[in-house]
Amino acid sequence: MSRALERAGTWVGWAFFADLGSALALTFGYMFSRPVTMQYPDKEKWVPYSRYRGHHFLKRDEAGEIKCVACELCARICPCDCIEVVPYEDENGKRHPSKFEIDTARCLFCGLCEDACPADAIALGQQYEFSSFSSRDLVIGRDDLLAKPGKAATGGSVVAAQLNTEKIVLVETKEPRGYNWWRNIRRT
Amino acid sequence: MELIVALGLIVLKVALLIAILLLLPLPLTWLERKIAGHMQQRMGPMRVGWHGLLQPVADGIKLLTKEDHIPAEADRFLFKLAPILALAPPFVVFVAIPFGESVSVLGNEITLYVSNMNVALLFIFAVIGIEVYGVIFGGWAANSKYAVLGSLRTCAQMISYEIPMGFAVIGVVMLAQSMSLIDIVRAQADVWNVVYQPVGFFVFFVAGLAEAQRIPFDLAEAEGDLGAGFHTEYSGIRFAFFMVSEYVIMVLVSVLVVILFFGGWNGILLPLPPLLWFALKVAFFVYVFMWFRFTFPRYRYDQLMAIGWKVLLPLSLANIIITGIVLS
Repeated sequence: MSRALERAGTWVGWAFFADLGSALALTFGYMFSRPVTMQYPDKEKWVPYSRYRGHHFLKRDEAGEIKCVACELCARICPCDCIEVVPYEDENGKRHPSKFEIDTARCLFCGLCEDACPADAIALGQQYEFSSFSSRDLVIGRDDLLAKPGKAATGGSVVAAQLNTEKIVLVETKEPRGYNWWRNIRRT
Repeated sequence: MELIVALGLIVLKVALLIAILLLLPLPLTWLERKIAGHMQQRMGPMRVGWHGLLQPVADGIKLLTKEDHIPAEADRFLFKLAPILALAPPFVVFVAIPFGESVSVLGNEITLYVSNMNVALLFIFAVIGIEVYGVIFGGWAANSKYAVLGSLRTCAQMISYEIPMGFAVIGVVMLAQSMSLIDIVRAQADVWNVVYQPVGFFVFFVAGLAEAQRIPFDLAEAEGDLGAGFHTEYSGIRFAFFMVSEYVIMVLVSVLVVILFFGGWNGILLPLPPLLWFALKVAFFVYVFMWFRFTFPRYRYDQLMAIGWKVLLPLSLANIIITGIVLS
């Protein structure tokens, strides 16, 4: 009996388009939900997680001296041969790189240089916005590498975008301190 | 002198109507993309103007400056004729459509319609039927298999859906005892036709969806299986003609639904100006069209035919018979 009733209910539902109605209700609800779009170059951008392998950077020690000892292990292990290191010896008899160039156009961001480094001097950081019109500009020297941002501390959040360098003034998001992007995803 | 004034008034009205109808697709495309975006948790156009408001203008400029390509194997005459055939009828139809009774401007009563035809409904169905030729010619002349398949489908779809659409209206005509749209609206002053004719409204609305070639009945331009259907080979301004025609027909079907079933400019509850009531109702149905588009999947070709001939046609016939029995 109950099964027959159920079946009758289904037919009544079909006759009055209950299925289409529920679909319309769903899309209507979604219309007023928060968009998950990240307005990347315009307003906000993603800070990658700390294990993200972005642009390389060179570290300094506590004294402000460059950590790199110019052992050239990174250049040896590099699978695409994109690191070039020329060592020199300073007045204290310590080895340092006089030239440390990474051709990021060739680099495949495998992170082997970071693993190979005995002095913990090179690592792959959070920066990913370094496209360029000329592949020549993608060869990054020692001083630029020292100035690059390090690994993201927390990561996985959205902050104000800073790509628009022409305006100087940064475009800001409503939440400049960063928010968790995943919370916008609506799970029904 | 009076004749000149009357003629001038008509010319003015027609010019205003054409201007509005030509510009209407601009906000409608923006609205459609915005609604699509938000229903899919996106934002839609955001970069041109405030929240992408100038996006349609940018698209228009793009379409105007694009190459107007005609395929080598195409029938050049028909290829050029088709967009005009598709664009003109929806504009002509609006001549017969009233937007309200009248307004007084500077002490003169000005009617809000170009002409009060006593066979307005017949005129509308006759003229809108011509629009199909644009679609069919466009698909045929392009000499492309996708376009031909698209226009083939349109052909079958239009034939099977104009009949229930016409039958659905008969109930309304019986209630109003007139084919004039103004009389039909006047007859709904107390109770809207949708109360007496829910089945008629349903049939008319579904057939209207098919007539406007919107999802779930947009087989003629099914992007997934036909490229773009009948306008696959069109580019530039000729493509824009087809798009404008599509949007104007969407507005036309909404306007017809409002006039025939939802009391035209008769308001309820709120004492708003009649013209505003009319615009609000039409806007609601335009929204429903877009809402449907981003909710439902497309029907299969055989399902489309089955709905047209096995469901809508018997329903509309039964509607006529029942209305006749109840009225007599």
